[in-house]
Amino acid sequence: MTSGDLIALMPLLILTAGSVLCLLVGVLRPGKYLYAAAIIVVSSALLWSCALPAEAVLSGLSVTPFSRFSSAFLYGTGIIALLLAYSYNIRHGIVGEEYPATILFALTGMGAACAATDLLMLFLGLEAFTFAFYILVAIRRDSSRGGEAGLKYLLNGTLSAAILAMGMALVYADRGTLRLAELASASEGAHEPLFLAGCCLILLGMAFKLSLAPAHLWTADVYQGAPAPVTALLSTASKGASLAALLLLLPLFGAWHGLHDILWLVALLSMLAGNLAALVQNNLKRMLAWSSVGQMGYVALALVAAPAGGVRAAAFYLVAYAAAGLAAFGVVSVLPDEEERDTIEACRGLGYRNPLAGAVLAAAMFSLAGIPPTAGFMGKFTVFAAALRGGEITLALVGILSALVAVFFYLRVVVVLYMKPSALPVEPVHMPDVAEMIALLVPIVVVVLVGVYPQPLLELLEKILIRS
Amino acid sequence: MPGHYPLLTILIFLPLAGCLLLLPLWNRASIARPVAFGVAAVELALTGWLYASWQVLEGVPTKLPGYLLLEDAPWIPSFGIRYTLGLDGISLLMVMLTAFTFCVALAVSWNAIKERATLFLTLMLVMEAGIMGVFLALDLALFYLFWEIMLIPMFFLIGVWGHGRKIYSTIKFFLFTMFGSLLMLLAIIALHLLHAQQSGVATFGLPELMHTRLPFDTQLWLFAAFFLAFAIKFPLFPLHTWLPDAHTDAPTAGSVVLAGLLLKTGSYGLIRFGYPLFPLAAQALTPLFYTLALLGIFYASLVAFAQEDMKRLIAYSSIGHMGYVAIGIAAWEPVALSGSILQMANHGVTTGALFCMIGMLDERAHTRDIAAFGGLWGKIPLWSFFFLIFSLTSMGLPGLNSFVGEFLILAGTIHKSPLVVVLSFVGIILPLIYMVRLLQEVLFQQERQPLALADLDLREMAILAVLLLLNIWVGVHPAPLLDMIHLPVLLLTGGAP
Repeated sequence: MTSGDLIALMPLLILTAGSVLCLLVGVLRPGKYLYAAAIIVVSSALLWSCALPAEAVLSGLSVTPFSRFSSAFLYGTGIIALLLAYSYNIRHGIVGEEYPATILFALTGMGAACAATDLLMLFLGLEAFTFAFYILVAIRRDSSRGGEAGLKYLLNGTLSAAILAMGMALVYADRGTLRLAELASASEGAHEPLFLAGCCLILLGMAFKLSLAPAHLWTADVYQGAPAPVTALLSTASKGASLAALLLLLPLFGAWHGLHDILWLVALLSMLAGNLAALVQNNLKRMLAWSSVGQMGYVALALVAAPAGGVRAAAFYLVAYAAAGLAAFGVVSVLPDEEERDTIEACRGLGYRNPLAGAVLAAAMFSLAGIPPTAGFMGKFTVFAAALRGGEITLALVGILSALVAVFFYLRVVVVLYMKPSALPVEPVHMPDVAEMIALLVPIVVVVLVGVYPQPLLELLEKILIRS
Repeated sequence: MPGHYPLLTILIFLPLAGCLLLLPLWNRASIARPVAFGVAAVELALTGWLYASWQVLEGVPTKLPGYLLLEDAPWIPSFGIRYTLGLDGISLLMVMLTAFTFCVALAVSWNAIKERATLFLTLMLVMEAGIMGVFLALDLALFYLFWEIMLIPMFFLIGVWGHGRKIYSTIKFFLFTMFGSLLMLLAIIALHLLHAQQSGVATFGLPELMHTRLPFDTQLWLFAAFFLAFAIKFPLFPLHTWLPDAHTDAPTAGSVVLAGLLLKTGSYGLIRFGYPLFPLAAQALTPLFYTLALLGIFYASLVAFAQEDMKRLIAYSSIGHMGYVAIGIAAWEPVALSGSILQMANHGVTTGALFCMIGMLDERAHTRDIAAFGGLWGKIPLWSFFFLIFSLTSMGLPGLNSFVGEFLILAGTIHKSPLVVVLSFVGIILPLIYMVRLLQEVLFQQERQPLALADLDLREMAILAVLLLLNIWVGVHPAPLLDMIHLPVLLLTGGAP
């Protein structure tokens, strides 16, 4: 390993060291300063990834523009989640150094997954951050709902990890290599049943991580039970890292047409299941969870059209979704006493009682619904452009009609925020503190900026996706 | 001269800048109101300046024939989306109508909106920007963006300051319009891709896309998507059900903008985009268009006759009047099309005025039930006088503006389709029936409930007087406006069937 490699790997090293130090120092001197320290650690990893164009190819890992910018994006969401978690955890009595340490560990896993060049490292990265989420989801030891969510996530997660590992093993058994590049170049010719079985299992495992139908059923329970800042991270960064991993895996399938058919079906099911189920939810977090299944359906729709520029559309859509999702779950985490009253109706009049939170949630809803001038609209635009270019007219039509369904349940939230009188008695409003304000404003500024002028992001994605 | 400034951009972004001015005035509605009105007035002055110099501008050729002003800049090169704005006579008329309607809407809601007034004003200005954008955009993606943006403020306007079943109405309004727009979005993207396939140039620009060679059935599908989006806004007969609800439950300013401008975006879209982009499909669907328009005229008029709520009655009459606009567009012939475009402006002024007046009455009596009133002629003579005149306009009395528009529409259409004209002549009688009933019951009958009503104050009188002057001016001397839209109409109809 040269010093150049070391420089390129530094963000991962910073995060790992930060995580370990956080645990060690936390034992000696517990305190809230650990969150600030964790934020500084992640910020330095983020700056390092963005600013230093150092690249390295090691065995298993290679730092490319793709890995640098995807991990920078993931670290960014991590910072927002930490900002939200700081006072959320004080309010909800979540103490201990394991929280920031686990988040740092999760981000390390995500960074590794984005940079993987062989199946083993990819698996390690994916499971590292999923493992961290097992802990984070159930971190409220006194909450039965949290425990339930943690158990559900753990059982489903280990099953999917097993499926993923089995798939990779089958691929290895057939091709005799774990290196993604070699696998991709070997995928040109005919495909053996063993290899195809492996591919299908890998896809299923990834569908779990991305909560794509039919592996989506865990989503609603886990999102509801987990603390809101954790859900914010789970629904955005975890999806982002999984998509990055899936993009790395895509060349593996070569020109196999089954991939198209499977993704086609997955996209269709996710868009329909997610958007229809979200229609009948009364709990804000459950509604967002189901809607995120639908949102991932649009990502899959873009991937169906991968040969027609769908990869960039998928990545763009995910960034847009993540910004709005972070904002939405950010608002959920500043709502008072979210365990008991996290129904949509409880937000009555929030737009006037807590103007910042209300406006942010409303803007997030408009973005998720795909109404301009928000990033969500530009995301839908790119996805549908890719889908039509790829000739997927049926799927595009289903997508646009389910988007109409989605408009209804997203608008319901806006209606409750601004158009229904406040419920009586009016509970005390928790005004966001500075950290939360930053955590709410940054994603919404991204939503609006990307919605009005998406060109820089599109160019960046173009660049990193071509070179990867 | 306006050509030296990016005036079109200013028209769109000035109201948004005005929103920033309103931010520090969040709790001071008494200052915010004049500020917002001032911004709207500056907009009106700018459009007035454009109107004063359109003949000069026509003498200076631009890149596109018929256009007075063009602004163009790259916006999202990755997709070939440009920030292209263009102003021709038709847009100018619509832009003038927009600026004027917003002044009226802000003035009429001066005292009516007390709660959260600054939020209301902000939304109004955002909507003004959106509607200006719709009437000026020449890039389909940009057009779509504005088309959607203008919905959000209206959604809040009805939902927050409305009456009755406001939440039901506003969601219905939003979903109906979104349904059409989303399919139109797919059609826009599809057209873009087909053009890119043919010419290798990725663009959403209207002038370029007009040259796309499309097979007939493709054209039909794409036109159907556009037509659906515009027909919902229009609203044409089976798609109109959102309109009475939205109108009835909206605050007065909302109704004025809805009737005066949002409906016009539908007809404008059809004229600017639908017909020029898909001439063959449009021609093929003309019989359907005629049928829907005629059905709308008859159906809406009959339903209007049965209404008990004055605002609902006017809302239905609005559907009927827009039916004539639809006939003029369907004929796609210079005289009829000019009539339609003029009628769009006329309808905005007349129906806007009627909605204002019902709002004023509602503020005093707190009811809009026809059965509650009677003998208003004796009690509030000024109000009654204006109401009578605007109702007469709505019936198409010669000398008032609606007559000119409807006459031109029918005179132009008669060469194309005599049967349609005969049927619509029958339809012209129907507004007479329900409006006379309305006038008889509200103005002239014996008083039915003792209501203490004050007559118009100075502000209200000023608004109505301006509307009335405009009404009579267009009714007696429409030539300047017709001259203004003459060239673009000829260019439009020359290229299409």
